[in-house]
Amino acid sequence: MKFIRQYQNAFTFEVSGREKSWLLAILKLFPLVPLSHHRLSKTTKLPDQEANQRLLEESLKAQRDENQKLVLAMLSETGRFNPCASGFRFDLTRLEIEWLLQVLNDVRLGSWLALGSPDLAQEDQLVLNAKTLPQIQRMELAGMFEMFFLNAVSRAG
Amino acid sequence: MPAGSRRSQKPGALDSCVVKPYFADMAAVATPAVHPGIQTEELTGSSTELETGYLVICWNDPINLMDYVTHVFQVVFGWERRKAERHMLEVHKLGKSVLARESLEKAEFYVHQLQKYQLHATMERE
Repeated sequence: MKFIRQYQNAFTFEVSGREKSWLLAILKLFPLVPLSHHRLSKTTKLPDQEANQRLLEESLKAQRDENQKLVLAMLSETGRFNPCASGFRFDLTRLEIEWLLQVLNDVRLGSWLALGSPDLAQEDQLVLNAKTLPQIQRMELAGMFEMFFLNAVSRAG
Repeated sequence: MPAGSRRSQKPGALDSCVVKPYFADMAAVATPAVHPGIQTEELTGSSTELETGYLVICWNDPINLMDYVTHVFQVVFGWERRKAERHMLEVHKLGKSVLARESLEKAEFYVHQLQKYQLHATMERE
């Protein structure tokens, strides 16, 4: 994967055929994190806490629906990925990169939750077997794409 | 009025403090020269919404990437990279970082924004 250039609001990237299929496969998984995963407060009883929790879940759902629309549009858009010598080139706006980061991190977090939220620093907590391997792959691929887009944004300033 | 002094009073307690002496002096006046609408709103408005006693906290987790967390702080709070990194490292090393101290509504807004990016963020009463 390569970050080619930024021109005004458009970021141009280049991916191989395999990387493109990985990216699209990851995007198709969205959403994975259950809405109830996020809590408004950890310890304190807030005023109208139940109503506010509902509001939070509604807000997250609206955002998720919006992101899902964008994902589906991207997956079905014919001119998004243009063939080039070493694979495909595609453009993203700064805003598209933001929602893509949200989507990728949903897949990363959702895969981690499906693994039982292991402490990744403790090697013995991440058991590798036929059941966990797909989740680990998704988690790592989503993280790899996240880093790729973050580096591009960082380099562009 | 400082938020702390209001907190100790029950709803309506303030009315008696302010209004009673006023009406004692003006008992003979048919139409009191007060603005009940304005004053009532000020006194009965949810004090919790007006106070700035809510902390927006980001908690450590082993899944969100450090660069990603830094990026989200920059986007959500408009911070420069150095400040965002300092808070990210606080989360990473100390287990949490207080990102903002705000009113109920603003704290909720920030928590919503952080959770849209799937960060482990909550708001807590100070």
